[in-house]
Amino acid sequence: MTIMETRKHGDAADGMVGGRFSRLDGKLKTTGGATYALEQPVKNLVHAVLVQSTIAAGRVVAVDAAKAKAAPGVLSVFTPEDDLGLLVASDWFGNRPDNQPFHPLPREVSFNGQAIAAVVAETLEQATEAAKLVKVSYEETQSVTGLDDPDAGEGRLVDMLSVGWGDAEAAYAAADIKIEAEYRTPREYHVPIEPHGLTVKWEGDFLTVWEPSQWTHGMARTYAEWFDIPYENVRIVSPFIGGGFGSKAMGYTYSAVAAAAARKLGRPVKLAVTRPQTFTAYGGRAATRQTIRIGATKDGVLQAIVHRGASETSVFADFPEQTGAATPLLYAVPNLSTQHRLVPVNTVTPGALRAPGKNPSAFGLESAIEELSYAIGMDPLELRLRNYADHDYQSGKPWSTRQLREALTVGAEVFGWSRRSHEPRSMRDGRQLVGWGIGCGTFPVLKAASEALIRILGDGSVEVVSGAIDMGQGTYTILAQTAAEVLGVPAEQVDVKLGDSSLPGATVAGGSMLAGAITGAVHKAATAARDELIGLALNDSNSPFRDTGANTLVIADGRISVPRGEGPSLTLAELMSAIGRDRIETQRNTLPEGANGPEDHKRSWTTMANVQGPTAGDLSMHSWCAHFVEVKVDEDFGTVRVSRVVSAFDCGRIYNPKLAESQWRGGIIMGIGQALLEEGLIDERFGRVINNNMGDYLVPTNADIPHIQVISVGIPDNDASVLGGKGVGEVGIVGVAPAIANAVFHATGKRVRDLPITLEKLI
Amino acid sequence: MTRTIHLSLDINGKRHELDVEPRVTLLDALRESLALTGTKKGCDQGQCGACTCHVDGKRVLSCLTLAAQVEGRQITTIEGIAAENGDLHPVQAAFIENDAFQCGYCTPGQIMSAVACIREGHAGSEEEIREYMSGNLCRCGAYNSIVAAVREAASAVTTGIEAKDKVEVA
Ligand code: FES
Ligand code: FES
Repeated sequence: MTIMETRKHGDAADGMVGGRFSRLDGKLKTTGGATYALEQPVKNLVHAVLVQSTIAAGRVVAVDAAKAKAAPGVLSVFTPEDDLGLLVASDWFGNRPDNQPFHPLPREVSFNGQAIAAVVAETLEQATEAAKLVKVSYEETQSVTGLDDPDAGEGRLVDMLSVGWGDAEAAYAAADIKIEAEYRTPREYHVPIEPHGLTVKWEGDFLTVWEPSQWTHGMARTYAEWFDIPYENVRIVSPFIGGGFGSKAMGYTYSAVAAAAARKLGRPVKLAVTRPQTFTAYGGRAATRQTIRIGATKDGVLQAIVHRGASETSVFADFPEQTGAATPLLYAVPNLSTQHRLVPVNTVTPGALRAPGKNPSAFGLESAIEELSYAIGMDPLELRLRNYADHDYQSGKPWSTRQLREALTVGAEVFGWSRRSHEPRSMRDGRQLVGWGIGCGTFPVLKAASEALIRILGDGSVEVVSGAIDMGQGTYTILAQTAAEVLGVPAEQVDVKLGDSSLPGATVAGGSMLAGAITGAVHKAATAARDELIGLALNDSNSPFRDTGANTLVIADGRISVPRGEGPSLTLAELMSAIGRDRIETQRNTLPEGANGPEDHKRSWTTMANVQGPTAGDLSMHSWCAHFVEVKVDEDFGTVRVSRVVSAFDCGRIYNPKLAESQWRGGIIMGIGQALLEEGLIDERFGRVINNNMGDYLVPTNADIPHIQVISVGIPDNDASVLGGKGVGEVGIVGVAPAIANAVFHATGKRVRDLPITLEKLI
Repeated sequence: MTRTIHLSLDINGKRHELDVEPRVTLLDALRESLALTGTKKGCDQGQCGACTCHVDGKRVLSCLTLAAQVEGRQITTIEGIAAENGDLHPVQAAFIENDAFQCGYCTPGQIMSAVACIREGHAGSEEEIREYMSGNLCRCGAYNSIVAAVREAASAVTTGIEAKDKVEVA
């Protein structure tokens, strides 16, 4: 076994891994050659279109599908009358009720916009037209439309999410300086530019599903369970995903409908969820509220944090958007108490949207910290540094690495923070009020096992094969870099195959954990391939290295040679040909030796049951960041523009800075949207999402976004992952919205505690 | 049976014949009937720009254009802007070099917009590029790099045009 030191630096191009490579899939994506789920050339296709409910709660009494069925091209209309013969599948952790029927088109309506029928026709236009002809009659019942509905109540305490130490109430009561405020975030949506949908095809009992997937293996399991067929019979294909942000990691009810329709009709089905339907076909981020009380000494030393939060969920399933997720982590505080409640309302079950929990949690805490800084009259940067947590107070464990101090100081330096005057409304640019604010962010390091296959082919090229996915984070590219580094070949010589559940197992591209997991597996498999190649080169009777007396060989720049240069030097292709091999194949996973049987594989690749949290070992491991934001506010019109952003990140070692910077900026831009634009509006009469389209649910446009400077201050964290990286994808959004709210307060003297910060809240 | 009409569409310099219903949009004709899936559907409502194509050199939203409207016009899609020998268009190359995308789904629309934006003379400054590229949403948030790519490509394209003009004059 070769021991290979990973290179040392976190941020610089110091070899293959760490290099600023352009995306390997760039050419496909810029020429239209990258094919997404609804673009597969499947023959004999028919089209399915969903019909969604128009009431928030009640029962479907009857579906009159006669007109739709008589419309041209229509093959079938599926309604709650049809038993599709499905079974309930496992949750993310592999828990599953026995033999419970699953009705993806239910009779009971739990939210407005729930799928209750589907029309299948020869063409998309015919199916769309016929869907309009389906008449549904309902028996309506009382509904609860949101957190503020008088019938919603206080919600149910989620014991698991209560965190505390010391005596927070007493310490708060005794503190010299106290602040208390309520912070709120509305429903927010993923809005990936590729809408959801799928193409499904049955061949006997074998099912192929082209569906955008953040987790091919997990979703394959779901389909297998729905249809009660062996896991091996299902193939999820997802080489390209048009943005997920948490929304494409599971099969949804419409996925089941499409697959069931294809089976019934004996023809492949394509189901495209329309943009308006996406707002209720799966859940976005739940609306939240949280009250934060902070007690501190006069010179800004935190004494107590008391946090009470709540998020909405559906009436049939729990998805807590944990408002206390970041609260215990960011600062040194001797007394803390957080609690979170779940409030069931008539909505689609909310889901994971970029940095679930951490994001609204940081909005509350990082707003409150700056409120405290004004209450004390202390610079908010100084206040943060004064209360720097030298270890994790929640777990009592030391941090693995925590460069948050560096993020704050370097960010401040680059931003020019020292030129700030602390008083609100004290900085101007002509008619514009100028404000500066800070927001810190954190996201845990989650660890999971994964598997990868490496092939060295006769022509010296290398293949990396895994069922992991690339939705734009850059998996294709960083895996080529990882294999290239170990095998001493140029990254361009590496071909990466991803996005297919029939390939080796990988964990979900979620929780910012895929890169750490899959680079580890590729590194291990590539190292084994390298060892095998060197072993063959030294021992094969036809190898020119056999008689050199060397006991190892080096591979670099695509050539294999004896160390120190004497003796032969061959390209990999020449060596493969000399030893008469057309391929060397190694498959390795990162499961522990003792837990590496078929059941362990299935559990690890298809559920999250084996995922390890940030404090599973002796250390507490997280990514960190600090955002510095400048806003300009028009005093007369109340319009807010983000004019400058500097963000410094500790995500450990960065495998490809060019791609990581893009992800960070993407998170920050989504944070700008969250702060200033994004809000799901609900019609309280019907519980309907009113702005269910991209013209009314506003996401940032190019003109909304200034140049964003991102800086890496991370150092390799070899406890966090094999190659030393920590999660990159989610931390970037955490802390952006409070940084903007803080900057708006600094500019205007107005504290907005409910997102988004729209102009009517400022004038 | 629904009535269909016969259309001949000139796309990327090639003639395509198809029989579709009159209500079929250019976007669906490209994607569903002609296997030209590079043009993306993000909203089908004229709100996102993912479906941007060129008709007679001008950018249009193909989801708001009926296929039947563009008979006899020159349609260009993302599949048709690279050189015949496969060399990427300067805008495509600049997008890759500047990492102006992540998931790639908005990218064909962004590139078609960018090509037109430069041609329209609206790539003079970063501010102008931001404004004239704002019809194309990118949820991955590649805006900074899109601006950089358009700037870079604009200077490449302009230099290219000048060089070509000189050759023609000579
Ligand atoms: S698909 Fe045409 S603008 Fe969105
Ligand atoms: S690259 Fe994903 S939406 Fe723009």
